Amino acid sequence: MLRFIDARCMLGERCIIREGDPNTKEAILELMDRCHIEKAIVYHAMARESELPAGNMALIGETAGDDRFIRQWCALPSYFGEYMSAEDFFDAMKQHHVTSMRLLPKTCGYSLRPHSIGKLMDLAAQCHMPVFIDLGTELTTDESYDLCKMYPEVDLVFGNSGYRENRRLGPILEQCPNFYLGTGNYVAHCGIKLFCEYYGAERLIFDTGLPTGSATAAVSLIGYAEISDEEKALIAHGNIERLLGEVRL
Amino acid sequence: MNWEQYIFEGKPFEGIYIFDVHGHVGAHKPFQLGGYDADSVAKTCRRMNVDGVVVSSLPALASDWKWGNEEVAASVDAYPGLIWGYASPNPFYEDCDITPYLDLPGFVGVKIHGDMQGSTPVNDPRYFPTYEVANERGLPVLFHAWLSAEVRAAADVARRYPNTKIILGHSGMTARDTALEVARTCDNIFIDTAISSTYDNAIEVLVDKVGADRVVYGSDICFFDCIHTMGKIALARISDTDKEKIFGLNARGLFSL
Repeated sequence: MLRFIDARCMLGERCIIREGDPNTKEAILELMDRCHIEKAIVYHAMARESELPAGNMALIGETAGDDRFIRQWCALPSYFGEYMSAEDFFDAMKQHHVTSMRLLPKTCGYSLRPHSIGKLMDLAAQCHMPVFIDLGTELTTDESYDLCKMYPEVDLVFGNSGYRENRRLGPILEQCPNFYLGTGNYVAHCGIKLFCEYYGAERLIFDTGLPTGSATAAVSLIGYAEISDEEKALIAHGNIERLLGEVRL
Repeated sequence: MNWEQYIFEGKPFEGIYIFDVHGHVGAHKPFQLGGYDADSVAKTCRRMNVDGVVVSSLPALASDWKWGNEEVAASVDAYPGLIWGYASPNPFYEDCDITPYLDLPGFVGVKIHGDMQGSTPVNDPRYFPTYEVANERGLPVLFHAWLSAEVRAAADVARRYPNTKIILGHSGMTARDTALEVARTCDNIFIDTAISSTYDNAIEVLVDKVGADRVVYGSDICFFDCIHTMGKIALARISDTDKEKIFGLNARGLFSL
């Protein structure tokens, strides 16, 4: 049976919740069990919604002793002494077994250009660390092209793509080999099949967007995609395992 | 039934009646669709053991109502018993009368998408002649219902035409609470499951608030793939009986199939 690793999951209390949302770690684990999701790459809601440094540290506490969660920290370029330096950030990630980072340029109000996050991205390239960012909420699909070109040595995983993006995604996929797409919200009719046919299953990364996305929908999208079992396995877990396996902190 | 096994082995459900109340055919200008003709819809339905799907024409909603409704008629003709038709009016054409389409075999309801038609509220009087026909015949009317104002306008139609069966497409999406509120007060309102960027436990909430009898499987094929919505229902923490109602038994009654 297909097994999954979720590349986009958030733990911790959020400001806005809906009835039925899996709002606790236990609720997320229950959904992971139901959906055959072995592990999830997680960042902390507090890091995105309020205080990034405290959120990154809260993640360490929340995931302590639980090997189903793969830690991800949210990045913040440090100026005016706001946060630790890029070098210290990577040292701390190594110390706390954090294997990927997430960019929040809109949420946290910083630039993605090299004068701003260049040091962080240089270190990510040196460590072969994949960097995650959401389309829509953090940057446009067009801006994702610029990001890929500015940092060609960094593997970039773009989540939260909707079903309307193919005309924008196509040229980026053709010209940016470091562009990977999260599948959770990519629900276009025959979208996964078309993507694999033209750009290869190697560029797709399974994700759910929990707790606001849907794990049940996300696993079905891959389980029922009209592609080979080998392609499903790559998307469900193989590609992200390969990317994380290359990280050298 | 072991729903999980089917999904994780990539096999379509067996022994379940599946009827999709929310489908489309035809191209859509703003973005690429991965196959949008009747052949593509039928192929996916057959691959997933879907017994039937009701489609409207995107061009009928967006530009040429006659051309689009003819496209639906051709789709119904090409796949009788699998593809069924919604007729769609255009409020900007005084001569628009979709009754001849509703007289055709295989046309079983009406689809209205006010947002695609100049953001026209669905309770605009220009749509009333269509509702009168639907009310007289007891036909379902599927509304695109994404925002609170759209849900409330649809509820107004439900109250004015109590013999119609109103389907709120997308469960109200960002206006789920409003959709649930109007469904509780109007017996002729049903809710479909065509939600793109949805959240888990949404199906459970719908069943809890309005009952499984009022929830119908809608996928929005060929905008969305139909397969992720199937998984949401199949893996929901509701009874098998409720799942079967949602997948098709409710629609069978709704469309008098």
